Amino acid sequence: MIVARGLTKTYGPKTAVDDLSFTVEPGRVTGFLGPNGAGKSTTMRMLLGLDRPTSGSATVNGRSYAASPAPLREVGALLEARALHPGRSARDHLRWLAASNGIPRARIDQVLDLVGLEAVADQRVGRFSLGMGQRLGIAVALLGDPPVVVLDEPVNGLDPEGIRWVRNLARELAGQGRTVLVSSHLMSEMALTADHLIVVGRGRMLADCSMSRFIADHAASYVRVRSPRTAEVETLLRQHGLDVDRQDVDRQDGELRVQGLDAAGIGELVGGAGLHLHELTLVQSSLEDAFMTLTADSVEYAAHQTETAGALR
Amino acid sequence: MSAGPTTSAAPLPSAAGPDVVRLDPDRHVPGRRAPGFGAALNAEWIKFWTVRSSRWSLGLLFALGAGLTTLICWGAARDLAAGATTEVPETFITFGLLFSQLTAVALGALVVTSEYGTGMVRATLTAVPRRGRVLAAKAVVLAGVLFVAGVVTAFAGYLGGNWFLDREGFGVALSDDGVLRALVGNGLYLAGLGLFAMALGLLVRHTAAALTVGIALVLVVGNLAYALPGAWGEWVAKVMPGNAGGTVAQVLPFNGGAVLGPWTGFGVFAAETAALLIVATLVFRRRDA
Repeated sequence: MIVARGLTKTYGPKTAVDDLSFTVEPGRVTGFLGPNGAGKSTTMRMLLGLDRPTSGSATVNGRSYAASPAPLREVGALLEARALHPGRSARDHLRWLAASNGIPRARIDQVLDLVGLEAVADQRVGRFSLGMGQRLGIAVALLGDPPVVVLDEPVNGLDPEGIRWVRNLARELAGQGRTVLVSSHLMSEMALTADHLIVVGRGRMLADCSMSRFIADHAASYVRVRSPRTAEVETLLRQHGLDVDRQDVDRQDGELRVQGLDAAGIGELVGGAGLHLHELTLVQSSLEDAFMTLTADSVEYAAHQTETAGALR
Repeated sequence: MSAGPTTSAAPLPSAAGPDVVRLDPDRHVPGRRAPGFGAALNAEWIKFWTVRSSRWSLGLLFALGAGLTTLICWGAARDLAAGATTEVPETFITFGLLFSQLTAVALGALVVTSEYGTGMVRATLTAVPRRGRVLAAKAVVLAGVLFVAGVVTAFAGYLGGNWFLDREGFGVALSDDGVLRALVGNGLYLAGLGLFAMALGLLVRHTAAALTVGIALVLVVGNLAYALPGAWGEWVAKVMPGNAGGTVAQVLPFNGGAVLGPWTGFGVFAAETAALLIVATLVFRRRDA
């Protein structure tokens, strides 16, 4: 279990992490979500005793990371940036790590096998692809078979097969009763992996709740209504107190977005007035959209033209 | 953020729910005990020998140190035989040190700056969060390796160089005054120099910067200091790290400038190195990795 209390980190006038308090419980995958620059990596470095908090504290299994006599047996961490020497082989990298925490050498082959790197274990890691580097990082995290696993952006650079593997691994580790904290800036990734979410933006806590609660609270839905007589339908719906949003109604593919009543109710209303409908669809906005909305004010490096976002969709 | 998840009261994995199995921490990794300084030392030892730069630097140290001593003695032997020099043979017997000391500086700096350059330092500190212990382990490995390499190099240089000197009748015996001290002193000086450079590396965290500062301080500034005027100028020159530390590794000083006695000089150098290491350790312990 990981507990952060009032965790704060400032660099000069800039506050990277602002009074974060949260608990990461065992037995489930906790997603640590936020846009780039939200303070996720800084928070994780503080959890691991690499960075000193300006104020507040973080404990792992009841004590600070640095106080652990054999930290790799207690917490396994995949750090965001590659933390290895390019001239050393994967096996040698695991060898010194194992030696530092009194982990038997037999475990090295186990983790190499687990992440699928046994064939390239004796190659210099400088030649590894980004994905292979990530796999080695995960091997490092699992070396001490730790009850707490912290993975910073684990799917970066992985191919779809690798992404699914990490997703399943995280769920499996949590299923074994471990505490699993996975950071990502991709909501879609978290939606498939995490049971619980901690969302941060500009170093501040935006949400700390279960995934289902997050969906219920933030993923808005509306009913898409299209009709050859849009204006009349709109007037009718507004008369019944519904919230109507016009989208390109002057064009052929224009639509009304209606909130406040379900599709069946809207259909009956419109039908009762003798108007025709060409489409009546419940649209559930994606979690990605919900995340965007939630973090809109806290994005560090926002693109200013909304067209850019549209063009890339 | 209102109602959090329905958490069970007990935080232990075994009580988290019926779907959660109890985790046996010793399943794959038996033998749970607190690894001490020995484990950190072992880790640093493995790290040292598993990168090419260490082996290259040591190879170069030996080649420059022993090779140049032999070469210089070969040339000196002829000059001595021809009466073309007023130098004494003892001056030349550890001469390669002038160059091998550069590799010791490089090796000492690289031991830490390569970790900063690659991000390795974060892996190191997650494995061994006690920073003083990390530095102590690094220092023991570095100093131990350089001491052995320095002594071996000096003996090889002595054997090679003395063969030429001996041929011309100017041989230097191991039992001669200061010879054995200089050979062993070679190891001591290079070990100290490695630690000095390691401390510099910790402070500047950048390979090129650490090398530049280290080499400039030990060689360039050290020699320039002899140009300073007056008694205080001579004093400054004497206590420059390279000048003070090098005395223990030479039977007689190469450059003819004023130097401290071998053990006094080495004592001064050791104190300078220790002071720099203490500052570097304090900084390293406070700094974010």
